[in-house]
Amino acid sequence: MSGQYHRPHRWAWWTERPGYMRFMIRELTSVFMAGYLVVFVMTLARLGAGEAAFGEWIAAMGSPGWMAAHVVALAAAVWHAVTFFGAVPQAMPVFLGEKRLSGPVSQIVMGYGPWLTVSAVIVWWVLR
Amino acid sequence: MSAGGGGGAGGGAQKGGGSARPSGEAFWWALFSAGGVMAALFVPAFVIVTGFLLPAGDEMVAAERAAAFAQAAGWWPVKVALLGVITLSLFHCMHRIRHLLMDVGMRRYAGALKLPCYGGALALSGWAAWVLWGI
Amino acid sequence: MSENATITLELFRYHPETDSEPRYQSYEVPYDEDWVVLDAINWIKDHVDGTVTHRWSCRMGVCGSCGMMVNGEPKLTCAAFLKDYYPRPVRVDPLVNFPVERDLVVSMDGFMDKLEAVKPYIIRDDVNDTSQGEYRQTPAELARYKQFSMCINCMLCYAACPVVGHEEEFLGPAALALGHRYNKDSRDQGQSERLEVMLSSEAMWGCTFVGECTVVCPKHVDPAGAIQQAKAVGAQEFFKRFVMPKGAGS
Repeated sequence: MSGQYHRPHRWAWWTERPGYMRFMIRELTSVFMAGYLVVFVMTLARLGAGEAAFGEWIAAMGSPGWMAAHVVALAAAVWHAVTFFGAVPQAMPVFLGEKRLSGPVSQIVMGYGPWLTVSAVIVWWVLR
Repeated sequence: MSAGGGGGAGGGAQKGGGSARPSGEAFWWALFSAGGVMAALFVPAFVIVTGFLLPAGDEMVAAERAAAFAQAAGWWPVKVALLGVITLSLFHCMHRIRHLLMDVGMRRYAGALKLPCYGGALALSGWAAWVLWGI
Repeated sequence: MSENATITLELFRYHPETDSEPRYQSYEVPYDEDWVVLDAINWIKDHVDGTVTHRWSCRMGVCGSCGMMVNGEPKLTCAAFLKDYYPRPVRVDPLVNFPVERDLVVSMDGFMDKLEAVKPYIIRDDVNDTSQGEYRQTPAELARYKQFSMCINCMLCYAACPVVGHEEEFLGPAALALGHRYNKDSRDQGQSERLEVMLSSEAMWGCTFVGECTVVCPKHVDPAGAIQQAKAVGAQEFFKRFVMPKGAGS
């Protein structure tokens, strides 16, 4: 045991590899999504407060500041979905006998497909 | 070669003194995992609707879209689903934030971080439930 | 390039009996585009400085002993070609996240403890009686774990994992992947024993799926995937204990 050299802790480890930076960006999506979820519940609260209150709130959401915030939130949410469903083949391998379902197929069947379907239905409901 | 218990006695190098019960982390991870699916499936579309579709357009269009949104949010099955999505997504986010903080140097506060993170997610979920009840 | 081309190797040097701090020492090595970093280190040891200490054995990416940091990247030095770095210098460090024993040699003690902790061998409730034949397995059953059995214990994944660097309790990518490998083996009956170890506090749950273990793995084991799968098993076990409080664990 004597004489072993212990290298110093690397507190800024996340700057060391591009993969670590990608990890940090993926994890930070949760901060923006949490922020958006609070805004989302506030939106629902305004809806519960009546038509006038809701209308006012929605009008305020049209301001450039709120638009910018929503652009960031959308980017974070989309990146979360892309990385989350991107990990499906690793985290949930599907075997058909000896064969493992290929990565892209399982991503589409168990991730991107349902995601786009759900998104389309929600958007259609509001736009219809 | 060894019977069930034999290996355990011989393998003296167990790290972390494995307890017989899985640690509570399993529970938080399950919420995190389910919440990750919910957030990925629903949150991008929610942002598009409340951040862009509702505020955009002239008054007529805005009123129609607001009505569609209100109609959906007024249905009980939708309310229950929304509460599920919001709650699980919040637990997902707060679990990630907790582990992010641990990974960037707050590991020694791993236990202490549980209260603000999971407590915060629970409190926000309670607020969401109350809000949805009132619609 | 000229006949006498050379490349600079900067080796991490640390001799516990004389050094209190490590240092880097530069060596000019003949450049040959067929050479790997390990060839260059061996040339230094044979022709310039016999005190350089490093581990190696097979030179063909099977033994897993020549893992080092090559310009900050965890690599099997037998598979890191000089031509990918030439003409720039190559800096070689011992694998990070491990204590340094001497020069490029790290201490494997902690790793071996963690490996042993997950019981990486087949555990049976019955005593193996060879007169009844071997435990049979279908190709489909083999496919469930084969990828995870390719690990050569080179420890590159430990050097690539930030959690290994910060959390002592964390068992690390290779050990967890190997634990999962035996849990997935149809001949094995030791899952509950292994899960006792794997599911305790930060042993596995410390993993935040950074995923770089899988990126650096020379054998395409995908430890990151194995750990996420093992977490799902762990979560199922957790909820099973609510349904069946006694559990089936030994």
